[in-house]
Amino acid sequence: MSKSSLYPDSRFADPAEGGAKRSPQLHIGNWLGVLPFFVFSGLFLIAPTLILAYRSFEGLNGGQTLDNYRLLTSPAVINSYGMSIRISLTTAILGGLFGFLIAWAVSLGGLPRPFRTTSTTFSGVASNFAGVPLAAAFVFTLGRVGVVTALFEVFGVNLYKSGFSLYSFTGLTLVYLFFQIPLMVLVMLPALDGLKRDWLEAAENLGATPGQYWRHVALPVLMPSILGTMILLFGNSFGAHATAYALTGGLFPLATLLIGQQISGDVLHNPGLGYAVAMGMVIIMAFSILIYSILQRRSERWLG
Amino acid sequence: MRTNKIVFTLLALILVSSFVLSACATATTVAPEEPVATEALPTEAPPPADPMAELYAAAQAEGMLTTIALPHDWCNYAAVFEGFKAKYPGIEVNELDPGAGSGEELEAIRANKDNPGPQAPDVIDVGLAFGPTAKDEGLIQPYKVATWDEIPDSAKDPEGYWYGDYYGVLSLSVNTAEVANPPTEYADLLKPEYNGQIALSGDPLSSNAAILTVWAAGLATGATGEEAAQAGLEFFKQLNEAGNFVPIDGDPRTIGIGETPILIDWSYNSILNDQNLAGNPDLVTNVPAAGRLAGVYVQAISAYAPHPNAAKLWMEYLYSDEGQNAWASGFCYPIRFESMVAANTIPADMLAQLPSTEGSYFPTIEEINAAKAVITEGWPVVVGVEVLPLP
Amino acid sequence: MTISTGPPITAKTPAAEAPPKGNRLWAWLIFLMGALYFMLPLAATFYWSLRAEKGRFGFEAYRRLFADANFMPAFSESIVNAIAAIFLSLLIIVPTAYWVRLRMPRLRPVVEFITLLPFVIPAVVLVFGIIRLYSRPPLLLTATYDSSRVLLVCVYAALSFPYMFRSVDNGLRAIDVRALTEAAQSLGANWITILREVIFPNLRVATLSGALLTFAIVLGELTIALYMAQKTLGPYMANLTRSKVYEPSAMAIVAFAITWVAMGMIAYISRERKQP
Repeated sequence: MSKSSLYPDSRFADPAEGGAKRSPQLHIGNWLGVLPFFVFSGLFLIAPTLILAYRSFEGLNGGQTLDNYRLLTSPAVINSYGMSIRISLTTAILGGLFGFLIAWAVSLGGLPRPFRTTSTTFSGVASNFAGVPLAAAFVFTLGRVGVVTALFEVFGVNLYKSGFSLYSFTGLTLVYLFFQIPLMVLVMLPALDGLKRDWLEAAENLGATPGQYWRHVALPVLMPSILGTMILLFGNSFGAHATAYALTGGLFPLATLLIGQQISGDVLHNPGLGYAVAMGMVIIMAFSILIYSILQRRSERWLG
Repeated sequence: MRTNKIVFTLLALILVSSFVLSACATATTVAPEEPVATEALPTEAPPPADPMAELYAAAQAEGMLTTIALPHDWCNYAAVFEGFKAKYPGIEVNELDPGAGSGEELEAIRANKDNPGPQAPDVIDVGLAFGPTAKDEGLIQPYKVATWDEIPDSAKDPEGYWYGDYYGVLSLSVNTAEVANPPTEYADLLKPEYNGQIALSGDPLSSNAAILTVWAAGLATGATGEEAAQAGLEFFKQLNEAGNFVPIDGDPRTIGIGETPILIDWSYNSILNDQNLAGNPDLVTNVPAAGRLAGVYVQAISAYAPHPNAAKLWMEYLYSDEGQNAWASGFCYPIRFESMVAANTIPADMLAQLPSTEGSYFPTIEEINAAKAVITEGWPVVVGVEVLPLP
Repeated sequence: MTISTGPPITAKTPAAEAPPKGNRLWAWLIFLMGALYFMLPLAATFYWSLRAEKGRFGFEAYRRLFADANFMPAFSESIVNAIAAIFLSLLIIVPTAYWVRLRMPRLRPVVEFITLLPFVIPAVVLVFGIIRLYSRPPLLLTATYDSSRVLLVCVYAALSFPYMFRSVDNGLRAIDVRALTEAAQSLGANWITILREVIFPNLRVATLSGALLTFAIVLGELTIALYMAQKTLGPYMANLTRSKVYEPSAMAIVAFAITWVAMGMIAYISRERKQP
């Protein structure tokens, strides 16, 4: 039953309600539909995660222990989680904002069609341009001997003396956005295509300004997609480590760097702790999805 | 509701099967049998003309050698590989991740315990402190090469589980196009003229060279042992506060383009880098007199190696004169250096290229571990982001 | 035969009439600023890649790169892996996203959590977990190079889940799934037909986004391929440019260009064809 009289179209019907009307004999059939996904994920995602969980209880001298989890409450680990969350939130929000603007520009903004194709394909490549090549590219650009730094100097501005540094939180955010923004663009385009032209026209006919159209029609419709894509950006940044390591050499305590130190490094070697930190990340991710689901349900509720 | 029951049953089924799968994967495997000594021949047969012939035949039968963490430009492993393949054809050399860290190498052995495939490493090359760790965990098997006695006692496990392969000294690698007056000692680094120029070759919490650098800087102030570790932390705190320290992961590129014109790394890497750059730009390698620290890496054979004979043949090659000289051509000091110099088996021109290690301090495993504990604990606090004001 | 309700629900950009002039100005501004942000680092990389020879600008670094003979085999191997992973991912994700949206919305958080797992499991941990699981009987898949390759493709498909699911989900949100399904069912179509003739064609843009993202991931992936002892493009590029100074920049530009061209081809192949 639609809650908004403006849009009696069935597309806004609450999907959950529709389920109850389904004929009973399809109950098992429902599960068959998602079985391939669960089997495949079980084999290649869930099983390794369970191994991860199992080994997070491994002590330094073999045997099972809770020490690793106790260490999770140490300031160093908490700090790293905090930093990871901080950079992930920042780049998710900024990446979401700028990515949305660009996606809008190439789809609804009236730019010629080739701009959109170029942006799509470029975003595909750029979204995976990370790690050492990306850090290097920004060092080439904004490092102490970077091209843009030199350009500023031509105009008499010394970036680094004015307090800017690529090797800071700001710098890292700037670098992360290089793959966050294209991700947002690429994944939001299908959603933006779903904005019906007649809604804009209907809104205009009713005397709405573009601002009102966006505030009351377009953004609410897009909000579930925006939120969903932003959680993707959050996860993407949360799990990144190669870029941060290359750029800041471990100056910033990030959870992923911590894991790398314990599992892969040449200095520390407490794999159990590394796995426990990774499990902590899984839990944080689950928690984020919970928050996101609540927000999403709220945003979908508007749609009737 | 009926749906919910089916929901939960199926979810439970999937979870249980995933769990069973993982449980099977993590179940302990049977320990490997004691490796057979290579000297064990049928008693009637006469000793072979070439002592390696029998080993070579067995290795050929296995057909493959899987290595890990051996970059071609580290101590000129490229030449080592080439030499091995030329001397012992018929053995395919399968190189896993050349960039792996010691932790990853051990993890690779653990994960591949039952794997007969090409993902299981046969031999590893790890930092000194990782030798005992691997031995304690039962990840490696003992083997004593023909030239065993020429390896210094301090660099090998008496039972033959791990053995030092080469060493080098920490040096200041300087890009002379950017730095007019290259520093020669750690103390020089604090000078204001080097503002924003100095980098480590990694993060002290995960890079062997980086953590030894911190310790070496401390040794340079005259302190010893654990106090040197603390002194090193203080030194870098000063360096950071002065703005001379760049927290980037230094590598040939960052020094080559001038972003980190002063890079503290192993001498062999610095010299090789200079050679590769061919003057574009010119690098100079300064080995500090104070706080001169040598670092040893060790070799070992995996206890679960799918090709144990190929692994042993590889070890024999590495510790033969040919193998050791190949490392020397990479500006590394082969572990049998003393004996080889005495026996005159190192070419004179190669000797001339090697930087002086006179007065170098060779830390023991206990010392390294003690220093590590201090530095890994203190680095994030002393130099980390808690110290820097966040924008 | 594609079924649509009301105004065309195909994945075309809305209407041909130009939006108001003010909008277009903003769009240009945003696009140009974005272009600047993305082009500068790439231009700087390109600049440095030209400096391999002392004092001159030249393509020396590129010459050194292409002198190596192993590029094509590694590249084609990665391409094949990517295409296989894309198909596998599409086959699993599209029906799942469709089903969750249509029939089992309460399962959504669980499915989303699972699709986001690749972000929180470090690649190193994942590959060693996979090796542990599949290196012993009864599921011995790592014994040979080719069987390991199949395993690798499956892992890549799993890695693409976050991106594929989100794109497809966004696409599904934009079309009236229920009405389309009901209409198709009333015409006697079974589920397979619905998916093939109704859902997939209407998800052109979304599946393209997902496919492009998967392609980029597979082509650039390094850690898992390395430990699975696979000779793909990632390890090849890493080995070639290890410890070098100018070649990595050249390699970055070349890899970027090649991937971009390949994406262009994918986009071209899956472009919308004019209705007859």
